Amino acid sequence: MKKTKNSLKKLYIALIFIFLYAPIAVLFVLSVNDSRSRAVWGGFTLKWYRELFADATIMTALKNTLIIAFVAAFFATVLGLLAAIGISAMKKNKAAVYLGAGNIPLINADIVTGITLMLFFSRFSSLGMMSILLSHITFCIPYVLLSVLPALSGIDWHLYEAARDLGATRSMAYRKVIWPELFPSVMGGFFIALTMSMDDFVVTYFTRGAGVDTLSTMIYGELKRGIKPQMFALSSVIFAVVLILLLLVYLLPSDGKIGRPRITEGLSDAVRSVVPFILVVSVVTTLTGCGSIQNPRYGADPEEEATVSDAGSNTITVLNYGEYLDRDLLEDFYDKTGIRVLYDEATTPEEMYTKYKSGAISYDLICTSEYIIKKLMDENELLQIDTGSMENYGNLDPAILAMAQTYDPDNNYSIPYFYGTVGLLYNSSEITGEVDSWDVLFDGSYSGEIIMQNSIRDAYMCALKYLGYSLNDTDREHMLEAQRLLLKQKPDVEAYFVDEVREEMVAGNATIAVCYSGEAYLANEYNEDLTYVVPKEGSNLWIDSWCMTKRCQNPENATAFLDYLCGEEAGMVNFEYVYYPTPNLAVYNALDEEIREDELVFPPQEVLKNCEVYETLPDDVMELYSEMWKELKVY
Amino acid sequence: MKENISIKENSQEPGSRILLELKGVAKSFETTDVLKGLDLKIERNTFVTLLGPSGCGKSTTLRLIAGFEKPDAGNIFFEGKDITGLPPEQREVNTVFQNYALFTHMTVAENIAFGLKIKKYPREYISDRVDYALSLVNLEGYGDRNPGTLSGGQQQRIAIARAIVNEPKILLLDEPLGALDLKLRKSMQIELMKLKEELGITFVYVTHDQEEALTMSDQIVVMNHGMIEQIGSAEDIYNEPKNAYVARFIGEANLKTGRMSSPSVVSIEGVDFPCTDEGFLSGTPVDVMIRPEDVELVDPLAGQICGVVSDIIFKGIFYHITVKTDEYEWKACSTMPTPVGTKVGIHVDPFNIRNMIQGAKEI
Repeated sequence: MKKTKNSLKKLYIALIFIFLYAPIAVLFVLSVNDSRSRAVWGGFTLKWYRELFADATIMTALKNTLIIAFVAAFFATVLGLLAAIGISAMKKNKAAVYLGAGNIPLINADIVTGITLMLFFSRFSSLGMMSILLSHITFCIPYVLLSVLPALSGIDWHLYEAARDLGATRSMAYRKVIWPELFPSVMGGFFIALTMSMDDFVVTYFTRGAGVDTLSTMIYGELKRGIKPQMFALSSVIFAVVLILLLLVYLLPSDGKIGRPRITEGLSDAVRSVVPFILVVSVVTTLTGCGSIQNPRYGADPEEEATVSDAGSNTITVLNYGEYLDRDLLEDFYDKTGIRVLYDEATTPEEMYTKYKSGAISYDLICTSEYIIKKLMDENELLQIDTGSMENYGNLDPAILAMAQTYDPDNNYSIPYFYGTVGLLYNSSEITGEVDSWDVLFDGSYSGEIIMQNSIRDAYMCALKYLGYSLNDTDREHMLEAQRLLLKQKPDVEAYFVDEVREEMVAGNATIAVCYSGEAYLANEYNEDLTYVVPKEGSNLWIDSWCMTKRCQNPENATAFLDYLCGEEAGMVNFEYVYYPTPNLAVYNALDEEIREDELVFPPQEVLKNCEVYETLPDDVMELYSEMWKELKVY
Repeated sequence: MKENISIKENSQEPGSRILLELKGVAKSFETTDVLKGLDLKIERNTFVTLLGPSGCGKSTTLRLIAGFEKPDAGNIFFEGKDITGLPPEQREVNTVFQNYALFTHMTVAENIAFGLKIKKYPREYISDRVDYALSLVNLEGYGDRNPGTLSGGQQQRIAIARAIVNEPKILLLDEPLGALDLKLRKSMQIELMKLKEELGITFVYVTHDQEEALTMSDQIVVMNHGMIEQIGSAEDIYNEPKNAYVARFIGEANLKTGRMSSPSVVSIEGVDFPCTDEGFLSGTPVDVMIRPEDVELVDPLAGQICGVVSDIIFKGIFYHITVKTDEYEWKACSTMPTPVGTKVGIHVDPFNIRNMIQGAKEI
């Protein structure tokens, strides 16, 4: 009986530890996986660790994170300590009021704090590194206060008197007796502030300026195209560093003094022994951090440049999807033109729209989806682009430009950047016979093996096309027909996904998925059985294009950047980085025939002809869509 | 009650015998007058105890001497020099605090060396002095310990060692034994007295424990409501309290009100008791104090006054017996058990009767 009880206890503890540490184990495994896909084991490698330290983007984000964390923690500790001293000297009622006011940032939801600070900074100052820093100091102070205040009010002032009595002057007594008593709690506050700052995503996300990324915002920006394996390596390194520090703190003998049974004493001792190091790091980062903040635009390192959002005369601010441009081009562009690019990333078109409309950052150029461009055009938010002045405009594929007229009738508000199709990604080892029609989704033969796109237009598009209608069809009856079809199909669907489609397919969790062509290409890299087809009934053609906002201060510089991207040289670098179909014919023609003929990369002409671009639909149609979607997802 | 009292009656020797003098020292906190013009002279190499109930101003007096507080009025002289405005670190006194006030982030040795380090003595000298101080308080070999790991008694010794290692001319002790248990307190009392002899310096000791005061002191200063009630040796104060307050505070006492029948006879409960105290005119109302051990229980016929035993408590070497007379209860100590209800006579020798001016404040 006792035995089973004991083994149950052990099992329980084991389960808790597995629950806590399994994610970290997964992280570590991914960091040594010689494959960019999370779903495929490509053998053991340390290359992500090597690449990690060579990756300027990650290193800059890491540097930003550390600078912000140390500087914010340093100032929060100083301010929090002073506040604690002030509050501890107040009468009880007054102290309660001040303490309560001081703790508001703690109680406030992060998102409220973040938005408030964003509004404040974008109104009275600008968003950049400094705004993140000030925000972090703001929300870190209460943690220091809470850590220091109890220690301060618990101080035995007889110690001070004893020191004076033994010959210490006032300042010596504070330095030699009161400060050491207070020190562990001050350090505690510093470390809490440090971790809070490093941890923070929400406040950073709202208060950051264009191009300023910390690790957390950078990871978020990468979500659309998949997190780089280097990030797994970095996370593993961070975890290891923290683990080693913790072990040191707990295991280090406390400088040989006997009779110290209590762990807290050992802890405070060990903390004290790393303190000189921490202080040095803190002061150094404070100095260098402030240096780079004060002088952001003329430093030698372009990454460091990108620390302040400032629509200066020779700077343009650009918003793009994550991992959707080779950043080396930015430096090259600067070398060629002297124009700085503040480069910022977002994950979804909706997010881009919100970021632009909030006005917190004045973007000059935005690369986004066609329906957001149409929306911005309709809202009169865009400037016409002087395509006539662009040397390389002629490189753009007339066929794509013609398709783009769906949303930009005169091709004068947008410059196509990459395009692609939506089709079926399927596992050819599990399907016999040819897949060339949407009917595989609806004939019930792959029940439970289907992944649909979790977005309204993409989901209904498959049904509308299968039924032989246009994907921009606004006929109520046709739409309801599509709805009935999707409702009937729903039991066969394994899941509605957006970002996870590729990894799910690579992992073999489904047989058929509705998928973007770019993703299909990558999926095929990891699993050769995965094949992509655009069904014969036709599909959607999507075009990501650049547009110029009416907040653009210097359209000539912005146009110069667009012209640069349309050039053959930059276009080639970008194509090799992104590997999506490019509308740049100069690039296309310079490619090996093998790539040009690869249907996974470039959709053939007859496929393109069969495709339609999404039109922005009238409000009442969109309303019907969203009602139908609700019904579909709930049912 | 503002008396100018020196600790030893015959202190007409050279002024250098006076180490410390408080002249008209007053101190108040917010609306409370804690000290009301205190005059006190303390001589070299004496063990002086400031005795009184809490709130009597004894600790404040100590803090004024240490320099933690500044008097509102009056002056403090040290070896004839006015040190009223001198900060604590420049005074040749050291304090042992009630709660020890040891620096927990330092070892025992670092605690003791604190004062010497500040005065920038050479390292070897400091280490020798620390060892010596540890040996004085019987804690050799404890230098590397953390104060937090030691017992209360040990911590108290460390606090004492930390103070005396600086060779102060006065050691101030603020109820240093208050937190110790009875047995430890007794042995520490003896150690403190030995220590004082060894060091040959002045101790100023604050306590509310009259027994502690009687055991250790050369001089006791009985304080009440920010003023001094009496200064004297333990015997003086015990045997010849100035007033009912002092009598009640020091030891057990039978306190009666009486009236002088003649200059050497006092009438209590209408009964005349011969006494030896002179100086009161006939008919003067007085407070009369008789110690319980001076109340002899005799045959009812032989007694000066008669009563009935109402209570008896065994106290070890004697019985504590309460006798009821018409008006009063008399406390007596006797080696003979006397059952409750026994009729007894009471006899007091004339030299054991202490007559005092009436009207001293109650405790």
